[in-house]
Amino acid sequence: MERIAAGDAGALGEIYDAYGRIVFAIVYRMLASPEAAEEVAQDVFHAVWRRAGAYRRERGAVRTWLLAIARNAAIDWRRTRGKRVEREVELDAATAMRADSSVVDSVLLSLRAERVRDAVRTLPPEQRDVLALAFWGGLTQAEIALRTATPLGTVKSRVRLGMEKLRLHLAEES
Amino acid sequence: MNTHPTDDLAAFSIGALDASEQAGVDTHLALCEVCRAEVASFAEVAWGIAELAPLVAPGPTLREQVLDRVRPRTARVASTASRPPLLDGLRRIFDLKVPLAVPLALALLLAISLGGLGSARADADAYARAVAGVADGTVVTLAATAGTEARGSLVVPATGDPYLILRLPAPPAGKTWEAWVLRGEQPLAAGISGDRWGVVTLVLSQPVRPGDGVAVTLEDAGGVAAPRGTIVLQART
Ligand SMILES: [Zn+2]
Repeated sequence: MERIAAGDAGALGEIYDAYGRIVFAIVYRMLASPEAAEEVAQDVFHAVWRRAGAYRRERGAVRTWLLAIARNAAIDWRRTRGKRVEREVELDAATAMRADSSVVDSVLLSLRAERVRDAVRTLPPEQRDVLALAFWGGLTQAEIALRTATPLGTVKSRVRLGMEKLRLHLAEES
Repeated sequence: MNTHPTDDLAAFSIGALDASEQAGVDTHLALCEVCRAEVASFAEVAWGIAELAPLVAPGPTLREQVLDRVRPRTARVASTASRPPLLDGLRRIFDLKVPLAVPLALALLLAISLGGLGSARADADAYARAVAGVADGTVVTLAATAGTEARGSLVVPATGDPYLILRLPAPPAGKTWEAWVLRGEQPLAAGISGDRWGVVTLVLSQPVRPGDGVAVTLEDAGGVAAPRGTIVLQART
């Protein structure tokens, strides 16, 4: 990040090589359009370039920072340019899309994803749903409450319990 | 220290808080190591969820496009008009894909500062800062070197790329206008106008940090790595 902040384009290339695919995959999953995902992924790395100086190691891992930028960029895109994609969101849509011929697979990643997928399966459906609406749908808890006609307090506790359960499950396995 | 926002930390990690809640947690995290550790562990979970995104590969050109945007030589000229009436030029500017949220007042302000009102410039400047505060960004009017018709403003939005809005005379044959970010004594090439002139929006390919300067010079077509031409516009942030 220091190198990027100092204007080293090569360092940005390295970040792209490490995270380009996953960033693209995340925004693609959120926007369901390859064109939009390419545009937003570009914006994400451009934002990394501009904001690298503001990255604070003590406030979290690079990938956490990157994930926040990617999600925000996708949410912004949807607000400003995208028609709101109203469709069912599932926390794990992998099964539906694995057949795509352009799918690339990385063994390591899929092993890890398999563990998360197992953890997700242990969640009660209502917790899984709020996490999906928040994470992939880009909705806040208040928006979810409104959308699903559920009391805000209930939504909040589902988010918290769901995340705690996933954390516990993943910790037990490793 | 206030009580820990423990119940909000999971939601914070997946961006599910509304803006004011998020700002509150953010402020707390700056001071609280306990909550930072909690957020870090939820962040691992969030990344795990992110990895459930189907691994669809981006197009093969994405990497190049990403790097192109930050290379000075290939800096984009986002919008130009060969010789538009001023307001027409401004309208084109607001058609940009640049993440602009420029209110009408700022548009008027830019029209004024681009109008180069001579002695009224100081007023325009003061007005610029006042309006920019509302616009949640900063506008700096560039000082024009005596004798040039060029005018311009630097806009640093709260979010999004800094950019220059310029009114440029046609460059002589074989020449281009080139923008620079001056970091200390070091000029960093930040984009060229190419063969465009008139009202031009130039998205800077370099970030602008507090204390940096910005300048526009006339250089050989295609741009140069270090400025040789005369400065026509400049400002220090
Ligand atoms: Zn705390």
